[in-house]
Amino acid sequence: MSAELDRTPRNLLLCEQSSLLDEKNRLSAQVQQLHFSYKVSVLLPECSSAPSHLDSLLSSFSSFYLIRNLPIYELLDKDFLQKAVYPGGVYGLSYRTRIDEDNCVALMPNGHLCLSLDKDSFELLGFEGKPCRFNHRSRSRFVVSIDLTDSSMAPGGRGYLRLLAGLRSRLHLHTDFLLSHHPGGRACLQPLLLRYDWSEHTPEVSRCHLTNLSCPVLQSCDPHSLLEWLGTVDADVSRENSSSSFLSSLVCPDPNTTLSSALRVSVCGLLLPPDIHRLIQELRHYLERPLLGSWVSLTVHGFVDSPVSWGDSEHGVLRGGENFYTLLMFHDHSYQLHLATGAHDTCPP
Amino acid sequence: MKPVDKKEESSYQRVVLKNASPYHYLKVHLVLENETTRLSAVELKQFIITGLKNLHGEVGAALNFDVLKYDDDTLTALLRVYSKGLVKLWSSLTLLGSYQNQACAFRVLQVSPFLLALSGNSRELQLD
Amino acid sequence: MVRVKSRYLLCEVNVSDKSQLLLLDDRAVAATVRAAVARTHGDYGAALCSIRFSVKYLNAHTGIVLLRFPKRCYRLLWSALPFITSIETRSHKIPCFLNCLHVGGTIRTCQKFLIKYNTQQLHRMLPKCKDEEEKQHIRKAILNCSLAGETKEAFEEESESEEDEVE
Repeated sequence: MSAELDRTPRNLLLCEQSSLLDEKNRLSAQVQQLHFSYKVSVLLPECSSAPSHLDSLLSSFSSFYLIRNLPIYELLDKDFLQKAVYPGGVYGLSYRTRIDEDNCVALMPNGHLCLSLDKDSFELLGFEGKPCRFNHRSRSRFVVSIDLTDSSMAPGGRGYLRLLAGLRSRLHLHTDFLLSHHPGGRACLQPLLLRYDWSEHTPEVSRCHLTNLSCPVLQSCDPHSLLEWLGTVDADVSRENSSSSFLSSLVCPDPNTTLSSALRVSVCGLLLPPDIHRLIQELRHYLERPLLGSWVSLTVHGFVDSPVSWGDSEHGVLRGGENFYTLLMFHDHSYQLHLATGAHDTCPP
Repeated sequence: MKPVDKKEESSYQRVVLKNASPYHYLKVHLVLENETTRLSAVELKQFIITGLKNLHGEVGAALNFDVLKYDDDTLTALLRVYSKGLVKLWSSLTLLGSYQNQACAFRVLQVSPFLLALSGNSRELQLD
Repeated sequence: MVRVKSRYLLCEVNVSDKSQLLLLDDRAVAATVRAAVARTHGDYGAALCSIRFSVKYLNAHTGIVLLRFPKRCYRLLWSALPFITSIETRSHKIPCFLNCLHVGGTIRTCQKFLIKYNTQQLHRMLPKCKDEEEKQHIRKAILNCSLAGETKEAFEEESESEEDEVE
């Protein structure tokens, strides 16, 4: 037992400032690397209804499929590998599994399959992996990362057969699975969809019109109060308090201005990075038009229970599990990017 | 190289903040034995303060925390506390066992150093 | 071998009426400290206080108390001491406050400090004597109760063995 009552779990916040005109900006790389996004919310100041381009873009986000009770060895199906995995662009994530207690599976667009397994399952599987970062001392959780495009993993190859035997006869891993493919869509996933019970889902769009929003001066606000303010807007938390009130002393950071109206749009589901990339481009065009608000903000939340956060870097949950980024774009093409991760993640790119 | 480019390049800035968040945010849900009982936000805060006082004494009761949002239908609240007081608040929430002589429990649904993270919890995704 | 580490707090009980000091006993002091910790730090503090807390030494004549706390939580327990305003013995309530003089890792260092401290106090108070006769009287009293060479050694050895004690 520790007597240190004031210690908190680790967290990381990475802030970047740059301009979209700068050729070396890494914005699109950073956006592409958060593979599994759960929610995107956009805040448009001084805007009462979304422009039609933006609206149509939001409703054209790729749909995704939920396959019930999928045995994981089916992901090694030869047809599926050839149609979906080798060309790239497939996104798959186990659904309703919790990374701190269950076995989680992620299939990434670069053809990597990532399994986060507890000790028993890992030993049953009999495939090499490494201990998880967050409890590498006790070695109670392991991560198996497999490059399916590697030559040894080609159907019939040694590694392929060993993994298949492990998944099929020793470790019977079944899970509900979210699957999507960009740009192929349903055609590429057909080999799996034919055999299992599935349903199609489209990302859910919700709009909310806000009025009389007090808003800090974004360029000079420190990152933590900025994220807090965006959080209060997202969670509908009242900021009309005085510093002496009993319930809450939360106030809008000074100096602040008041926005007469603002629009908050959010999309929920399994969202793919290419769609988010298109959204960012569209928001850029939106900003170029005169007489509108001088900035927009975009927040992308990753899946809490995904075994990876940015790129192939490992993700854990335990207490927090947050992995999200906030992008603030200004009229003059400059932007601020805040990437945040929780207790057991590696530093984002 | 054009001077414009140079200016743009110099504006690039990358900062990594480690454990710098001043606050932590908790999403908690109060489960009561008698489900028809309703609490107001003030009563909830008072109840939590009593818990703090029992476990951490007068020093604990003086801990500053905010009830940012409270929904009295679902008994779900968003709390904000200084990072230093997180462990004290969390532990006293865990040990709060009765409200007005009926058994109760606090379920801590999510804890995060970022308020934004609480509005985008993928564990809430319902597809059927 | 690793020993369990403690911190010893050398405190002075300040009362307005010196004669009340003689009523003190270590159980009363321990109970008062426990109550103060329980009030300021609640159940958590009370639990910490129940592990290895004890009153190691109490001098009812000079009002010196030696408290032992576990090393990892002594700061938390220490912070409760200023909230003590009275000590309750069986029949009396003695208004007082505790003044912490020294924090040491062993009883021996506390003893060394106490000797130094008392010498200092003596030097400070001697000039305040009203006449030569009183001064002589005090000198004599001190010489009477100081230990001869051999017994002093024996005393130090004893305290050393106390320091090595493994809990």
